[in-house]
Amino acid sequence: MEQNFIFFYGLRWQDIFDILLNSYVLFRLYVLFRGTNVIRVLLAICILWAVSQSAVSLGLIVTNWAMQGVITAAALIIIIVFRNEISSVLQTKNLKSFLWGIPRYQFHTPLNIIVESVYEMAEKKIGALIVLPLKQGMANIVQGGISITGTLSQEMLVSIFWPDSPLHDGATIIQGEQITSAGVILPLSKRKDLPSFFGTRHRAALGLTERIDALVVVISEETGKISLFKEDQIYNIGNRSALEKLLQEHAGDDSTKKGFRHQTIELFAAALISLFCITGIWVNFSKGLETLATHEVPVEFINPDQKMEIISSSVSNVKLLISGARPLINSINPEQINIQLSLSQSVVGINKLSITKEDILLPPGVQLKKIDPSEIDVTLDTLIEKELPIQPHWTGKLPIGLTMKSARAVPQTVRVIGGGLVLKNISTLFTEQISLDKLTESGSTTVSLVLNPASIKLEDTNKIQIQYLISKKPS
Amino acid sequence: MKKFLSRISIKTLLIFIAILFLSTAIANSKQSKAQMVLAKAVMCESIKNFKPINPAVVFSISQGEVFCYSNFDPVFEKTYIFHKWYKKDKLIFTMRRSLSPPKWSSFSKIQLRNADKGPWRVEIRSVNNKLLQTLRFSMVD
Repeated sequence: MEQNFIFFYGLRWQDIFDILLNSYVLFRLYVLFRGTNVIRVLLAICILWAVSQSAVSLGLIVTNWAMQGVITAAALIIIIVFRNEISSVLQTKNLKSFLWGIPRYQFHTPLNIIVESVYEMAEKKIGALIVLPLKQGMANIVQGGISITGTLSQEMLVSIFWPDSPLHDGATIIQGEQITSAGVILPLSKRKDLPSFFGTRHRAALGLTERIDALVVVISEETGKISLFKEDQIYNIGNRSALEKLLQEHAGDDSTKKGFRHQTIELFAAALISLFCITGIWVNFSKGLETLATHEVPVEFINPDQKMEIISSSVSNVKLLISGARPLINSINPEQINIQLSLSQSVVGINKLSITKEDILLPPGVQLKKIDPSEIDVTLDTLIEKELPIQPHWTGKLPIGLTMKSARAVPQTVRVIGGGLVLKNISTLFTEQISLDKLTESGSTTVSLVLNPASIKLEDTNKIQIQYLISKKPS
Repeated sequence: MKKFLSRISIKTLLIFIAILFLSTAIANSKQSKAQMVLAKAVMCESIKNFKPINPAVVFSISQGEVFCYSNFDPVFEKTYIFHKWYKKDKLIFTMRRSLSPPKWSSFSKIQLRNADKGPWRVEIRSVNNKLLQTLRFSMVD
């Protein structure tokens, strides 16, 4: 639990954006495909995926293999079987509705006009074929038809199916408040178990509902009977209320605030579920991608005694083996990892300091696995002053026949400041190398001193004059 | 009579204490006096007839050897000294040399190798490890 908290605590803004973006994509997929069978199949695939993951965790090799095969096949099946739904979503001309619009069910379809028109035509035995599509597209299923795009009214609907009307033979499609087209030819059902009194209109209505989620109302020209076709089912309508009820069910219990609220709650729940799902997937991926990395981190010494100086340390960098989510590990800057060792308890001489987890500062969500080395030796010393003699460091070779009788540094000694332990072992300061090759007579030269170790410091100038006496070597 | 004896004995005791104090002081003064005096110390290419030949501060390794010559005059009693050879600040070896009255010359030497090039020094120290003199020189090509 604590680890999960740390895990989320280490969220970057990129992770939040990643989760929100994909949650929105998932939510949009739900919005665009809701009410269709695609959602159900997607849910089935999710369940299969969960089973597959369980099989992996339980070590069920064959089950996992089979589940993966089914999921792969299901993805292909979705594209083939639901090509109409997918194409209707992708062919949406309105980009706004595709990206962020939330299509509601046919709230504004005036069902009472349809009911009144249907009963008027039934009484007059006027044959009619009325299609109320829902979510699935029907563009590549139906043929012909005349585009009308007129506001739905009882008179208009009856006039379309009036026996002498040129459009009365085909189907009329109603979407929302509008009659979008009339005289449309629907595909016929090939079922052989249909009642004998079913005419072409009935077969066409059944043919369409076998393929998509539309609702089709048929009025028999011979009997005046009203039939309703929905999802491969045939309903014989006995009274107005039955027709109204079925139409309302199809339209999603329209026209009431309750229905709108219900849909809002549903969409809100869908948004939340999308967010949870994507967050879960992200966590799963991030944890699944947990990786190890080694960082070489410099050691920082804190709280030193002001009178002391660090002379040496057995190591200056410590290797840290850390683990965490790969994106997190990859995004770590060296400045985010610190090792701070307190010298408050240290004394002059060699101090063995242990590096513990408390001394290491890591970014949230990163775990420490190993410290190498876990112990370092730090040599501390107090600063002292010491006067040291200077000795020239001659190199090369004097010309043949010459000898250097004496050499003297001016000044002969210098004061240095450094650690007591270091200066204890130093009794002379040497100059930089002075070449003898070109010296032929007595003289002087100015040279610098070599400070070794570099921790020692000169009180005065580093420039030293070397006076030398050269003479001929006695034969 | 008793008084006389007691006065004599007190005088005797005081004289005895005075003699004891003086003898101790003389002994101490003798001890603090140097056992020898370093008259001369040089680095040289060779020694001939107890004398240094070609004293210098730079020596070529082609010469093969370098000598540290030290002459003590006077030497009050038999004692010994040390020649401590350092390359830079690292002690390479120590030679103990005996001294005998009334004066004495002693030397130590080193065989030169190619690896010996660099600054050297020889510290001449007494038996009490008192630094008498430091001789600084370099070994070169």
